[in-house]
Amino acid sequence: MTVRTSASHAWAAALALVPLLLSGCGTSGHGQTSFKDTNPLPADTMTFAMDAIGNYGGRFVIAETASPKTFNAIMANETSSSDVTQRMFVGLSDYNNITQQDTPGLAKSWESSADGSTWTFHLRHGARFSDGHPITAEDVAFSFAVCTDSVLHSSVMDLLTVNGKLVQVTTPDSYTVVTKFGGPYALAIPATGSVPIMPKHVLEAAWKRGAFASAYTTSTPPDSIVTSGPWRVKEYRANESLTLSRNPWWYGVDPQGHRLPYLDEVTFLIVPDQNTAALKFQNGEVDGLDNVKPEDYRTYQANQQKGNYTLYDLGPSLNTNFFWFNLNKVRDPKQGPVMGKPITDPVKYAWFSNADFRRAVSMAVDRDAIIRSVFYGDAVKCWSLMTPGNKQWYTGQGGKWDYNPAQAKALLDRIGFKDRNGDGVREDPQGHPIQFSLMTNADNVTRVAMANFIKDDLAKVGIRCTPSPVDFNTLVTHLRNDLQYEAVLLGLGSATPPDPGMGQNVMRSSGLTHYWNIRQPHPETPQEAEIDKLIGENTATANMDERKRTWGQIETIINDQCWIEWLPCIRVKIPISNRFGNLQPSVIPHRILWNIDRVFLKSRARA
Amino acid sequence: MRTYILRRLLQLIPLLLGITLLTFLLLKLAPGDFLSTMAENPQISAATLDAMRHRFGLDRPWWLQYALYLKNVVLHFDFGESFSRHQPVFVVLREGLANTLLLAISGAIITWGLAIPLGVWAGMKQYSAADKGLSLLAFLWLSVPEVLSGLLLLMLAARTGWFPVGGMRSLGYDDMDWIGRAGDLLRHLALPALTVGLIPLASRMRQMRGNLLDVLRLDYVTTARAKGLSETRVVFKHALRNALNPLITLFGFTLGALVSGSLVSEIIFAWPGLGRITLEALQTKDEYLVMGSVLMASVVLVAGNLIADLLLAVADPRIRYE
Repeated sequence: MTVRTSASHAWAAALALVPLLLSGCGTSGHGQTSFKDTNPLPADTMTFAMDAIGNYGGRFVIAETASPKTFNAIMANETSSSDVTQRMFVGLSDYNNITQQDTPGLAKSWESSADGSTWTFHLRHGARFSDGHPITAEDVAFSFAVCTDSVLHSSVMDLLTVNGKLVQVTTPDSYTVVTKFGGPYALAIPATGSVPIMPKHVLEAAWKRGAFASAYTTSTPPDSIVTSGPWRVKEYRANESLTLSRNPWWYGVDPQGHRLPYLDEVTFLIVPDQNTAALKFQNGEVDGLDNVKPEDYRTYQANQQKGNYTLYDLGPSLNTNFFWFNLNKVRDPKQGPVMGKPITDPVKYAWFSNADFRRAVSMAVDRDAIIRSVFYGDAVKCWSLMTPGNKQWYTGQGGKWDYNPAQAKALLDRIGFKDRNGDGVREDPQGHPIQFSLMTNADNVTRVAMANFIKDDLAKVGIRCTPSPVDFNTLVTHLRNDLQYEAVLLGLGSATPPDPGMGQNVMRSSGLTHYWNIRQPHPETPQEAEIDKLIGENTATANMDERKRTWGQIETIINDQCWIEWLPCIRVKIPISNRFGNLQPSVIPHRILWNIDRVFLKSRARA
Repeated sequence: MRTYILRRLLQLIPLLLGITLLTFLLLKLAPGDFLSTMAENPQISAATLDAMRHRFGLDRPWWLQYALYLKNVVLHFDFGESFSRHQPVFVVLREGLANTLLLAISGAIITWGLAIPLGVWAGMKQYSAADKGLSLLAFLWLSVPEVLSGLLLLMLAARTGWFPVGGMRSLGYDDMDWIGRAGDLLRHLALPALTVGLIPLASRMRQMRGNLLDVLRLDYVTTARAKGLSETRVVFKHALRNALNPLITLFGFTLGALVSGSLVSEIIFAWPGLGRITLEALQTKDEYLVMGSVLMASVVLVAGNLIADLLLAVADPRIRYE
């Protein structure tokens, strides 16, 4: 998010609309080469199914609103870096964003022990790094060792820890890797797949020296960055652009046995914000946008032909929106005087901890109105972290506490919240007016708009809600450190894969992101104890039927308790140029680039 | 003179100490830290956050962090590492320095290249329509904030297609010959440089005009005119030199603003300079990177002022620093 004055914000918004009226024809492809594959293919190629056989050459340009911070895949902690490193380094397994299933990667196959705690991977024979050096089990073991280095503490380390024990990796031979987890593990494939395979022969010395974190930085000469994935760095112009070119040794091929990728280059154009990205798309400098505001959908829709692009409807997002009430207790002497007491005003805690109050609030919120007004009709109702866009985990249950103002009022009456003095605001039996503040981050226009709708909806049932937009860092400090808030409206982005196990810290009562009551030493309610047990079972088996059953139970409990007040989730639409073939945009990030190794520039688009 | 310079350089020490302390305090007082965003990711456990905080030294009290920072700066000339990029801060800042200088110097050329001739012209034609028109334009532009003028120019670029919409180079830059490259760079540079350059134009122009008018009223100018010299000769040979003197101090400000003066237009025009790096560092609380950027801007500002003072002494023999 860029910091701007409100005046400039309005201007930027106005600006974004200007070019939408202009046609967006342009040519960003350049210098078409007819690539000749001179390197022998590996014995075990990986054949990708695809719509059309492509041809070599061309470039795809995408806009990023932040520059990559590092090319070191293991140290990359935010999307501006990982969007790039995920194109450069493969894992043992890969993921298909459309089918939402794990696929082979560097490992051509794998099997697990009967209990699901030990997994054996068979690597591709003849796979090579971008410098021609063979990729073997040694490199895999090295990459796992770096990822589980307690000094570096990479962000995948948590995924590789089961029952408090780190994964153990052995290599019986050069093409076999055995990973042993601390117990049966449902996420073994995505977890091992998220370890980027980096070259031992290049990086081992730096790691032993304790200098791994500062290897493969953005100032490392591109030629010396050896990659295992389809792409390598061609040129990086700091804060301007990054160009990737093909790794001439990669193992991916098309159904006719031509080596992938088809495109000569992928360029990340670094722009200050979404508005500039939109301008550049309209000018033909950028070939696709992976994030468009819902208010612009219609304009993009209308200009598709003129601009020679398609606005793809990717379906409901995997990102959720919701708000919740603060049920946190004092657990740190710094937070308040009496340990174990609620952090919020005890009067308000009494309301917030009453499930009927939370249900009444949920029934007061008119989600259809929010969909119409905030999302311009492009959103769906959602009652779980696993949204309707989730092909594996969406259950369709929930909605019991959807908009029903009459019942909301009746429920509030029943728990004794009545308007006793005729001012339009209900009071609790002790006479305290029912009012609370709803905090959200000010830079997110959609969230602020939703908070204002909620305010109006709650006023209609006699509850006074005050939206309070604050700076994002301030919000996080309130959520995680001092816990000083009454209610917060936030969203949660999905992980890849969008699996309940990836969001365990939200479900578990001990989790740092167990929004309404974080870091409980022991589960405080029987329902939370039950969820802890269920999520434990859910992640400790690879049996999908069993996992779906436990997940359904977790959803039922959370929705019945109404700890999370669900809000609609957006329908994602993104525009991409028609000049490319094999595009398969997906709601899972990266929405466009996930299969860019298969995308090609259509030959008649060449000038 | 030498002792004067030495004294000024010594004054720099407490000044920079104060600047670093204040910057550090402000960074620490603002809520959140580098790991705040990560704290919202459910895949990252509390233990991982604590381990990362420890690795970056963020778990220590602020005064200890500041003391360690100072120690490393003084003893090892080590200004710390960027948290996100794992590179020394000046390696990161260097990426943007040349681009920022290019923009700032182009802006300064526009400012001074226009301010002096226009100021002189307005001064020679005092109270004429041209003078009044120029004044009006100058004040109008002075009253428009940089964000707005930048965005207006950007809108012009978007509507007409005469100029690129931000950035520094076209994507086809690498395939161009050197003439094409220079032209491409100039086309990208034009609008941001204009935004930077036109801001101080009004004040510089008015200053030039005022100085010239003051000098034109002096006795020696009357003498020159009485000798029968042409008005052009009077102004350019005799009056202008003396009228330029006070502008030297203003030129010092231009030098001082080289590193930090173009921040806003850099952000509007997606110019890959220090502004972008600093803003991003500030937003993500990449603390030592912010410190490095502030330190660099401060040193350049102080140096600019010093150079202006010295230039003044060179230009005007009546000024002596002892």
